[in-house]
Amino acid sequence: MAAKAGASPATYSPSPTTYKKNRPPIFTDVDWVRPDGRDFHQCRPAFLRTGAVNAASGSAYAEFGNTKVMVSIFGPRESKKAMIYSDIGRLNCNASDNKEISSQLHKSLEGAIMLDTFPKTTVDVFALVLESGGCDLPVVISCASLALADAGIMMYDLVAAVSVSCLGKNLVIDPVSEEENYQDGGLMITCLPSRNEVTQLTITGEWSTPKIHEAMELCLDACSKLGKIMRSCLKESSSTSQE
Amino acid sequence: MQEKIAEEEMVTPGEVLGKGSEVKAGRGAYIAPYNNTVYASLTGRRCIVPSSPESPDQRPTVEVIGHKAHGPVPEPGCVVIARVTKVMARMASADIMCVGSKAVREKFSGIIRQQDVRATEIDKVDMHTSFRPGDIVKASVLSLGDARAYYLSTAQNELGVVSAESMAGGTMVPISWTEMQCPLTGQIEQRKVAKVGA
Repeated sequence: MAAKAGASPATYSPSPTTYKKNRPPIFTDVDWVRPDGRDFHQCRPAFLRTGAVNAASGSAYAEFGNTKVMVSIFGPRESKKAMIYSDIGRLNCNASDNKEISSQLHKSLEGAIMLDTFPKTTVDVFALVLESGGCDLPVVISCASLALADAGIMMYDLVAAVSVSCLGKNLVIDPVSEEENYQDGGLMITCLPSRNEVTQLTITGEWSTPKIHEAMELCLDACSKLGKIMRSCLKESSSTSQE
Repeated sequence: MQEKIAEEEMVTPGEVLGKGSEVKAGRGAYIAPYNNTVYASLTGRRCIVPSSPESPDQRPTVEVIGHKAHGPVPEPGCVVIARVTKVMARMASADIMCVGSKAVREKFSGIIRQQDVRATEIDKVDMHTSFRPGDIVKASVLSLGDARAYYLSTAQNELGVVSAESMAGGTMVPISWTEMQCPLTGQIEQRKVAKVGA
């Protein structure tokens, strides 16, 4: 928005007429029907496995409906990128060159890992989304924390992530890609289930305050249930690997 | 000797192991100050180590033994086996391959400085008569060092070159703490040799 020389100073503010959304809101009085037949407050069944990648220190595979994600962990190891000495460890997240998912993943995980147990070294987290069926980032975060626990990296707690979409007057949990495209707003919470602490809260779009409260309660409840599923998956896989 | 009783039950990070007033947090566990509870920080089996009878604090220590032995990381004070890569005027670079008796997954970089090669006459050390590229040395980790490498030291009798190849290609036999001899040609080469055995 560069101003030509001599013109009035350039300002940019959306004019009232263009501010209205282009597509008409569909859901003012009609309830949304979920394409896979779930209830609004029902999450997709979670399939979680650790130890998928042998070459990595730790790895996990997660399948939530059509969203399939694999995360592998390398480390703690030396990093050539380390220019400065640091007396705590470093976390490096890479989600196949998707900068946004990588930086969000980093923010959610760094609160849960005990970085001072591996000074000077780096833990590399590589996330690969094999199939994107909606709600990618929360699945990547949960899968990454499972992989970290599998790799033996010391953590304060597992990280469970759930997102909720607002479609008109309905709140749907664990949206599929179609629901994410139509949403008026999205809210994602990543929390440490047994310590009841939130490491990241991301809200996008249009929200009213009571809806935000309701959505947060939904998410926190779903996170604690997801946390239980993740723990039972870890216990099962480590007891079978010991036999 | 303390008896470690490993339980059957697996614990995961974030699970409650006990109250801070009853147990101490050992390796693999940590204590949260705000509610004085001990949580696990690893996946593995819980293991309770009873306290020694003389200590004033009679609380047992709870530890978590990780189910997966992931690659060791060099720590200050531990003995490592490294292979010398570069020898320069005032230091030698080495790649750390084993920590203690366990091999690392990926090598770490280490540096042996001129003043850390031996304990006596440290300013008269000639790096080229102490190490050559390709030598296997046993060293101890002095500190975490700088961003690029750990600082290693061979300034003890049992530290130094453990195995080296002569210029002719044969594995040399140590003669004294400064010399090694090639079995094929009989040539004597100078190294800072480690004292092995009794």
